[in-house]
Amino acid sequence: MSLAWQFYITTVLIYVGIDIIACWALNLQFGVAGVLNFAFIVFQAAGAYTAAVLTLGPATKGGYQQYVGGASWPFPLPVLAAAVVGALLALLIGVFSLRRLRSDYQAIVMLVVSLAATLLATNKVGLVNGPNGLSNVPKPLSTVVGMSPYGIQYQWLFVGLTAATCLIVYWFVHRVTSAPLGRTLRAMRDNEELAAAMGKNVSWLRLLVFMLGGAIAAVSGAILVILITAWSPSSWLFPETFSYFAAVIIGGSGNNLGALLGAILVPVGFLEIARFVPFGSAGFVGAVQWIAVGLLLLIFLWFWPRGVVPERRRRFPASAATVTVASGGIRGGLRRSVRIPAPRAAKAGHDGGGAVAD
Amino acid sequence: MSVFWSSLGFGVVTASILAIAAVGFTLQFGATNIFNLAYGDTMTAAAFVGYLVTRAHLGLWAAMLAGGAFGGIFSVVLNRAVYAPFIRRGTRLFGMIIVSIAVSLILSNGLQAIWGANFYSLAITPGRSLRFGPFIMTTVQLVIIAIAIAIMLAVHLLLRHTRLGRAMRATANNATLARNCGIRTDLVIDMVWLLSGILCGIGGVALVANITSFDFGTGGQFIVLILTAAVLGGVGQPYGAMIGALVIGLATEVSAAIFSPEYKELTAFAILVVILLIRPLGILSEVAQQKEVVVA
Repeated sequence: MSLAWQFYITTVLIYVGIDIIACWALNLQFGVAGVLNFAFIVFQAAGAYTAAVLTLGPATKGGYQQYVGGASWPFPLPVLAAAVVGALLALLIGVFSLRRLRSDYQAIVMLVVSLAATLLATNKVGLVNGPNGLSNVPKPLSTVVGMSPYGIQYQWLFVGLTAATCLIVYWFVHRVTSAPLGRTLRAMRDNEELAAAMGKNVSWLRLLVFMLGGAIAAVSGAILVILITAWSPSSWLFPETFSYFAAVIIGGSGNNLGALLGAILVPVGFLEIARFVPFGSAGFVGAVQWIAVGLLLLIFLWFWPRGVVPERRRRFPASAATVTVASGGIRGGLRRSVRIPAPRAAKAGHDGGGAVAD
Repeated sequence: MSVFWSSLGFGVVTASILAIAAVGFTLQFGATNIFNLAYGDTMTAAAFVGYLVTRAHLGLWAAMLAGGAFGGIFSVVLNRAVYAPFIRRGTRLFGMIIVSIAVSLILSNGLQAIWGANFYSLAITPGRSLRFGPFIMTTVQLVIIAIAIAIMLAVHLLLRHTRLGRAMRATANNATLARNCGIRTDLVIDMVWLLSGILCGIGGVALVANITSFDFGTGGQFIVLILTAAVLGGVGQPYGAMIGALVIGLATEVSAAIFSPEYKELTAFAILVVILLIRPLGILSEVAQQKEVVVA
């Protein structure tokens, strides 16, 4: 395999890993818990900025880039710090914008948060160097392992690091979604009133899942900034959030396998396919790419609203019927496998069209 | 002080454009409960239609007519071809947001594919500068203000004094009840989309007539101000949208003069956040509470 191909393949693999992590985070919020985070990209951006600032070292006065809180921490620390910042930012944003609103209003509020964050990062130059953004972020570990940060060996090492992070994140989201907490979150998504009536603290759960997703999204941003060594407001415009939503919906929201598939199909697939389009200017190709994402999404919402890998129906043993109901009955599966009185089941299982159908 | 006065003048012009667009947006939302996020991009498309008309030396009035006609027809077709089928298939509130963003992406990127990432300006002259006390305005800006006032009056007369307007208000209030009373709600909804689209188109042409240049993303950026104005007035309330537009238009331009032009939109966001904080129910207006999307 030629060196150019190796570079190409490793870069694609790292992108796949980053997008998978991001899609798992979004799936946790949107697919599993039904929290509509249209400001998702802000958390990825926050993670990227945190990791960049903490590896760049303190900003020099009068230097070409100005930012706050510069430090040169060794490798895993900036990524971990990114996760903490992501969670704290989620707490901050969640406290005032996660209200009990109609789902479309909630989406609008988050959309506005996202646009406001972009404006703030662009115009407050001292924060993260304004519209020019941060650049020349050093690649970590190269001196420790004695490799050139631009060599192919380092690329493969980076693939390994990304894969390891993916595994850790998978372990985490799988633990959450398969635990009783995951069941409670799905119950909240399908019928919030019912979950609240069962004694679940819905506001806290929404905030919790918002923070968990924010932390994971920030990790994906931290790895992304190590890969591309630069980060600016134009890297995280609002449509990027939408591409992740498209990925989760097309892959199949509510399950981690679907999110993984969507991550490979939408952000990576469309980004990489466009490299082989032989005609047109760069702007033209980008525009056609986004048109294709939009059309793909409309087609999926029309024909397969539950995605390529639909969320599986969960069945519970009949003897545990009372326990099951107490922890939140879920969708039609409950009604089919367990006979419980109609009035309760009727509302729990009315949603046939997946999480998208609201 | 003169900076303040001239920014107030700009504010009135921005408010006029905003009022045209926000009333169109909120009329359609009130009747159908669909957040049409492709509204801003429809404005841009209408602006490009207006651009072609002015290039043919037909002037601003013809451009507005053409833009309005395009917007109206486009909106009716958009509803009939995309939104209504999705609702009939069972897509609900949040799903419709996703659908409308998909449409918005297709539309704005389609415009980019056709027109490129270049800046355009209408082939009109801003006209003489006229002075009214402390205000200085161009003829084009005066025309925009006049059109906005005329449209607000027309919408008021339509809603209050015609059968169609009464049918629209009835449908917005309770579509099922209206249908049971013998109102052809499907036709009313079509008329709402038509009217909203016409206002959208005129608003789009007015928007680009007031600024020096525009590109494929101009309307998409303006949608945030429209949303804020509509939300401030209570979504679905045309009269609220008029007041909201005035407040937002003045507030953004005056804050741009006092602080910095970059903070224009941030002012709008701040206003939106404050509304959210002082109204615990958030931006739910009584009209929109517990309603579902309406198709016919």
